[in-house]
Amino acid sequence: MMSSLRSTTFRSCAQRSFQLYVNLVRQSSTESAKEIKIPRRIKRGPTDVLKALAATVTRDTTAPHYKYQDDPFLTPSSNVGKRTFAMAKESGKKAARWVQNQHPELFQHKVSFPFIENYTPITVYDENSAVDENTLKRVIYYAQVSDAIKVYELLEQKGINVSGSTKQSFLEMLCFFNCEDPLPEEFLEERWFHLSTKGREKLRKTWKDNSLAEKIFLSFEQKDSKAYSAIIQGMTRYCQAERAWKLYEECLEKNIILHTETYNSLIRVVHFLKEGFEHRWKLVQELLEEMAKKNIHPNVGTLNAVLEAVSTLPNQRQSKEYALRTLSEFKALNIQPTLASYYFLLITFCKQRGPISNILVEIMDTIQGQEFSVQDPKDTYFFVTAMDVCRNHLQDKDLAYRVDELLHTGNNYILIGDSYKESIYYRHFFVLMCTLESLDVFMDLYRKIVPHIYTPEPAVMEEVIKTIDMNGAMEYVPQIWSDMVVFDHVERENVVTTLLDSMARNKLPEESELISQFGNIAWDIWKRQEEDVEEDRYRQWRWTGQILGDMMTLLLRANQFKESCIILDKLNRSQQNIVGVPRVEVLQLFLDRCIQEKDVKAAIGCVQYSADAGFSDAEQMAQKLINNISLDEGILARLSNIIGKNLSKID
Amino acid sequence: MEFSRQLLHRLQPTLVGQLALVRSFHATPVCQKVQAGRYRITTKRNKPLTYEMSNPPHQIAHRKSWNSWNTANILGGVRPAETTIEDLFIRKFMTGTWHNLFLSEVIIKRQHNIIRIAGLVKQAISARKMYFLIGFTEEILSCWLQCPVKLELQTVEDPKDAIFKYI
Repeated sequence: MMSSLRSTTFRSCAQRSFQLYVNLVRQSSTESAKEIKIPRRIKRGPTDVLKALAATVTRDTTAPHYKYQDDPFLTPSSNVGKRTFAMAKESGKKAARWVQNQHPELFQHKVSFPFIENYTPITVYDENSAVDENTLKRVIYYAQVSDAIKVYELLEQKGINVSGSTKQSFLEMLCFFNCEDPLPEEFLEERWFHLSTKGREKLRKTWKDNSLAEKIFLSFEQKDSKAYSAIIQGMTRYCQAERAWKLYEECLEKNIILHTETYNSLIRVVHFLKEGFEHRWKLVQELLEEMAKKNIHPNVGTLNAVLEAVSTLPNQRQSKEYALRTLSEFKALNIQPTLASYYFLLITFCKQRGPISNILVEIMDTIQGQEFSVQDPKDTYFFVTAMDVCRNHLQDKDLAYRVDELLHTGNNYILIGDSYKESIYYRHFFVLMCTLESLDVFMDLYRKIVPHIYTPEPAVMEEVIKTIDMNGAMEYVPQIWSDMVVFDHVERENVVTTLLDSMARNKLPEESELISQFGNIAWDIWKRQEEDVEEDRYRQWRWTGQILGDMMTLLLRANQFKESCIILDKLNRSQQNIVGVPRVEVLQLFLDRCIQEKDVKAAIGCVQYSADAGFSDAEQMAQKLINNISLDEGILARLSNIIGKNLSKID
Repeated sequence: MEFSRQLLHRLQPTLVGQLALVRSFHATPVCQKVQAGRYRITTKRNKPLTYEMSNPPHQIAHRKSWNSWNTANILGGVRPAETTIEDLFIRKFMTGTWHNLFLSEVIIKRQHNIIRIAGLVKQAISARKMYFLIGFTEEILSCWLQCPVKLELQTVEDPKDAIFKYI
């Protein structure tokens, strides 16, 4: 019975599991027939693996940027250091290139395979060099403007004809660079640290009239749309708007169809062509209608150009409306806005003296988590402007976090622009967090991005100290002070004043270790200012009574009586050079300590100073001194002399 | 007698051969003097040595490492002679350009087409000047050797820190 039962259960079990198995197989086979789909092979470039590997490495916030050597001595700390070190390295590179170009005959060997042309000295073109059209094509390809001009002249001298297409690309290059040599591409640091004065320069005409570009343009017998497009774009790029407009009208007459980019560049300079809101907007509309009539498809450049033109319109309410209309129209055309478009929206909507607009929130809702590539030169303005809006326009820390997150998404960090924009971005972010975020969270951020990613400027440091002071979080002060030493802020009077003031005002518990640390900081400030004078220092501030008083307070609290005597001595000796006086409480504290230490000389100095500074408490202080220490006649007479009144011991 | 002479005559070639294989016995000591990479002890025992110098060549891969890292000399390696000459050139260039600054040997590491040059430098010139020299060296060596060259320097505050012992 048992066995039969067992066998049946066993059999049923086995049956069941088999059934299950069959079902599973069937199920999975039907599922796989549905689901498994071999994806198409993705073509990989030669550097894709490297890029994928690079994407796994993020910026190490604990180390300096990789352009600096990984060594404490060679790690820059201050903003000046970062700049000078990088520029010094680049300057060395330039020196090496100069040496190479001075002795090109020594660098004619070919070791690399495949041969790398960048390592060879530059070719100098003169009357004797053999040039042909290919030489011209080559220098145009490498964007060597002055060389191209020289080669072209040589070709003309030798009577060699240049084909139309080469001439066209030569014209395009001349127009793009305005017949000037651009900054060489290999000098990255110079670009990075280049102070962006470009925005200001762009507003005035820099196009060279009657330059070679125009001569080349005139030398075309049959001027086609390409030639016209090149010259018009060149002129608009360097703000020669009127002549560009004339050429455009010429094209209209001759019925020449121009490129989309040419229209974009014309839209960008409408503010040079027309005055007043109505005229400008009408001109933009005319240009767009012209494009539609000629069936020229607009692109993202058109969108940005229109938005840029709108952002320069004086009427705010109207310009906002037009900006939104433009955006929706281009969305209908399936043209996605770039960061530059959002930048123009921000500057249109968030004016300094305008009503508060929440457009950045909507923008962030749309672009959160997206990766961007550079599509417009103005793309690099977005992040710094967005952070500016977060700080000055909306005062919204959550939004600032979102902007920062977007900046660190994918490869977006390249859109930060240059060192100038980066430091402004972090300044806004930092000050916003400093004022709105809780101190602990802020200090976490501080530890993360200072000093390798961002070095706070003196004004920002002052904000930080004020926040610490407000929170009474004195434990951060020693760290802040050591950072200030590293960042070269010790010579900034206002920052040091704020620091000393906050240290002196916040009373610490008796047993705190910070008291002696603060004394050391105060003495350190004194020593840096007084004892290292021999070193050439260009910025030396004058002592103020407040600074010296705060220092005395801190030194007295830290039981550094001898040091505080030196400071009082300074107060007494150079009264004329010191602006203001310390608080009377400090002097009273000092006098009490003098009595404790039985130092009559210092005590008299203190009374003398109080009397000279015109404190009404001087007499009271003198009396206190007389009451507590037995003084001989001479000193008593001197005290009476200081106060101008006969004093005697009162019990 | 006749037999033995005949035997000797027949055996001679093999015997001679055997004798040649046998090492002769010497009573004089064997001269195995090697000089390379070793330093003579001075009478005053005041000659400074770095760690690298204080270890003779047979300690390479035991107590110290190589000064040139490359794969030119292993099976299938390319440009062995060129690599050696280039390394010599780099060392001469480094000690000449960084005059009186190097405290250690110049270490040259090659990976793919990149040359990395490492070493200890004393902090005798300002950091800014050092960066100028770094830029100059990297660029001119890149142009000469036609491959990316990188400097990986460590600085030493006191030159004495690099001294391992005095002999």
